[in-house]
Amino acid sequence: MASVSATWLYQDRGLRVIASADGFVAGKPYSKNFQSSFVGSFPAGILQVRLRLSNSQRRALLLPCIKCEKEDESFKEVSVERPPYYSYMDSTSGQLEPASGARASIPGQDLWPEGTASRVRAARAPEPTGKSLGSPSYGKNPGSRRKYKTSVAAPESSNVSLESSDPLESESSVDTTEEPSAVSSDYVVYETEPDQEETGYGLDKKLGLPHPFVDPKVKKPIENPLTSEELWWNWKKPEKEQWSRWQRRRPDAETVFLKAMAETGQVKLYGELPTLTETSLYRARRHLFKEERVRAEQDRLQRIGPIAYYSEWVKAWKRDTSLEAVQKHFEETGEDENTQLIEMFSHQTDREYRIMMGTDIRIPRDPLAMRMKEDQIKQIWGGDPVYPTVNYIQDPDEVIDFRGPDFHEPTPSMLAYLKEHGKIISREELEKILANEKTEELEMTDVDEAMARAVDIGEDDDEGEDSDVEVEEEAEEKITRNWSVLKSTPELRKSKGKPKKEIPLSLEEAVDDSENLTDFLLDFEEED
Amino acid sequence: MASSLPLHHPTHCFTSNPKLKNFHHGCSPRPSYSFATDTQNHAKPIRATTESPPYPIYQPPQVEESVSELEPADPDFYKIGYVRSMRAYGIDFKEGPDGFGVYAAKDVEPLRRARVIMEIPLELMLTISQKLPWMFFPDIIPIGHPIFDIINSTNPETDWDLRLACLLLYAFDREDNFWQLYGDFLPSVEECTSLLLATEEDLLELQDAKLASAMREQQHRALEFWEKNWHSSVPLKIKRLARDPERFIWAVGIAQSRCISMQLRIGALVQDSNMLIPYADMLNHSFQPNCFFHWRFKDRMLEVMINAGQRIRKGDPMTVDYLSGQKNDMFMQRYGFSSSVNPWDVIQFRGNARIHLDSFLSVFNISGLPEEYYHNTGRLSNDGDTFVDGAVIAAARTIPTWSDGDVPPIPSMERKAVKELQEECQQMLAEFPTTSEQDQKILDSMPEARRTLEAAIKYRLHRKLFIEKVIQALEIYQERILF
Repeated sequence: MASVSATWLYQDRGLRVIASADGFVAGKPYSKNFQSSFVGSFPAGILQVRLRLSNSQRRALLLPCIKCEKEDESFKEVSVERPPYYSYMDSTSGQLEPASGARASIPGQDLWPEGTASRVRAARAPEPTGKSLGSPSYGKNPGSRRKYKTSVAAPESSNVSLESSDPLESESSVDTTEEPSAVSSDYVVYETEPDQEETGYGLDKKLGLPHPFVDPKVKKPIENPLTSEELWWNWKKPEKEQWSRWQRRRPDAETVFLKAMAETGQVKLYGELPTLTETSLYRARRHLFKEERVRAEQDRLQRIGPIAYYSEWVKAWKRDTSLEAVQKHFEETGEDENTQLIEMFSHQTDREYRIMMGTDIRIPRDPLAMRMKEDQIKQIWGGDPVYPTVNYIQDPDEVIDFRGPDFHEPTPSMLAYLKEHGKIISREELEKILANEKTEELEMTDVDEAMARAVDIGEDDDEGEDSDVEVEEEAEEKITRNWSVLKSTPELRKSKGKPKKEIPLSLEEAVDDSENLTDFLLDFEEED
Repeated sequence: MASSLPLHHPTHCFTSNPKLKNFHHGCSPRPSYSFATDTQNHAKPIRATTESPPYPIYQPPQVEESVSELEPADPDFYKIGYVRSMRAYGIDFKEGPDGFGVYAAKDVEPLRRARVIMEIPLELMLTISQKLPWMFFPDIIPIGHPIFDIINSTNPETDWDLRLACLLLYAFDREDNFWQLYGDFLPSVEECTSLLLATEEDLLELQDAKLASAMREQQHRALEFWEKNWHSSVPLKIKRLARDPERFIWAVGIAQSRCISMQLRIGALVQDSNMLIPYADMLNHSFQPNCFFHWRFKDRMLEVMINAGQRIRKGDPMTVDYLSGQKNDMFMQRYGFSSSVNPWDVIQFRGNARIHLDSFLSVFNISGLPEEYYHNTGRLSNDGDTFVDGAVIAAARTIPTWSDGDVPPIPSMERKAVKELQEECQQMLAEFPTTSEQDQKILDSMPEARRTLEAAIKYRLHRKLFIEKVIQALEIYQERILF
């Protein structure tokens, strides 16, 4: 209803009269009532107000048009400057070239990038003209479009194929002698009427006249509608375990509406839930019906006049609202239509007003919405925002006890918690761990002493314990990697060097024997 | 299988005949000899090639093709390719009673560079590589389609035609494939001259036992393959490709006769492949071709190019050499046509007689190396000697000859040798059940024969004509020999 654009004055808290043009105001005899012309602050989006003029004032509306005194005046175009040149002979290409907007000359073919020449040639190749007589068989009949068919039918086929030679192709001499009449005749040959004419539904459909969706003759009633579970297109996913029904997906408003309509019997669906097709069909129909209804309402308004139209919403107005009555009233009292309308609306109640405007959601206006079940309503518009479900309805006087199971221990024990989660260990455990670490150290020093005792030569063992220990632990790999260690720890070198000294090695064997070439970097200082 | 690898150094065979210069481009050198249509003669240029279902043969000079029998092909033929970016420059597709052919639409001067007359994109072709792994370009076979298993089960060495046939049949079935449209222009089962479709009686008409048995073997092999892979419990996807063995054998025939095998480079991959190329297979065969195939890998197009330095007149047929250096029976086996002027035809002479090669060659003005003999008209004006043609060249190759430097031939021995050879040829001719005139009469009497029957009769006719020509050549040699 809100989009009905009608000539309409509405009466708000005060008396506001809205006129859209000053000119009209001036023309009216009772203009003093309309002096406060108010332009602009319409409540957004609700109303379009147009001042409806009575017939007597329409003629004055003609806009003045500007006319010339002299009708036939042809103006000679005279320009001050000479027209510039539009083209010139280009010195580069030797051809005519436009003065403005010329591009740089295109380089010759020998400068084109590779492949351009073939692409250009392919693009310049002319498209084949000519209409084919046969049609493709798409792999079913290979050889079906050849002209010279099997030799069995050779004599006939050759004649046929000669006759069927393409008239558009070169052999024009044959054609011009054969069919001069068809080409140059002055008579137009009309196509004969097709034998079958469409009637009824087909005709309606072809012409675009309103027709039902399905041909009523062909239409079959929906027999044995299946339930949702049986329908093959029902792909509803099973509802997972959710702690609330509000977690499921909300259906579309139209789907719900359509389902409600099906339940009340206004519409027949194939299953319980409407499919996308049915929904879109419903949407289309609704749109069309609405348009139709809107247009009908507008026509009615035009026909019976606003006072009669809106008297539907004013129950207390008992007077005659026909056009003649309004006219008579105007002649008698001089109140024009708008005034009478205002007076009628002053008899309207608040509730009626709200119903008419459609602004109160608590007053349902949609007959279907009134008949929808509560869960369906909730699917579309949601439930009560304050108390969406019964579970949430609370006693306002209730005193809620927030105490939990360890109500008597307000402060939880952090220590136990941390211990439980392994973030803290007890002192004994800690000491145990430390003790373990300590004993390892002791072991290592023992070994070190043994090693130290094993040294005969009075070498400096200051580099010592640490590196040796590590080296000892990991045996050979470390030794070979840290050649510096090897260099500085003579006993290690010795163990490795003995096999070297025993067998005189050739160069290759020596190379093979060494881990890397740094083996050969001997420290001459320490060599004795 | 002939692979015409494009070499960019044409082997020049110069003839000084201004009218017909045959420059050859190809990997194996070919004999180039021109017809003796001399400028002085103003003889009507002999149509060396006629169209037969896709391949034209040389017609012996007696039979002249009437030009009016050639009609322009259905305009859709070029249009379906044009729409898919195939191009044809300066040529017409014409159709005659023997099939399609490609003809020049305008004169072409002898040029230094080979000119492109057709370019066909890769997407229109059906390609299988020759060696494992078999790759298809364009890859139309979906993974898991049973046709792939069938193709996989073929023998990698020998079954290339079966693979191509399967691919072709699949392409016919595949929606939106170009071959669905192009297949309408292929020779149908009745028109295909491939001997695979020949009946027993046709094979007997060949009068050549070896060839007949070879063909029977081929037929049997194809039939066996069909039975093995199209048995009754095969899924519908496969079954509808070839509902009856005839269709499959037809497809094998098409694959054999229209397959072009070339070395392709696609991207970085170089492979030998067997290809079914739509418009290029409408080119006919000639022993002096004027076109060759070239693969342009940049945009993956196959180009059909005119030999450089070749003058083409308007209406000349564009021809390609199908198999280089093969006898008639190979042509017959693979393509289903034969020629009486095949310069590589062979006669097995059993005797010891030999003639002097050099004098034979000089009598007929044949020059060149044995691999590429050609008829040298030109300086030595022969006043309309139209006798020398492919058959004489073949004779020069197959007749047992001797040549010993400067040693001159002894006349008596020469004559004796010639007589012996002629007798042998007569004997060979006598071994045939029919003579060539009888064959010719048979052919004329049945204009509506089955294609394969016609081809078979033509094959033996050509063989006989060849032998007769050899006899004639020996006769002329005897007369003209200079002592």
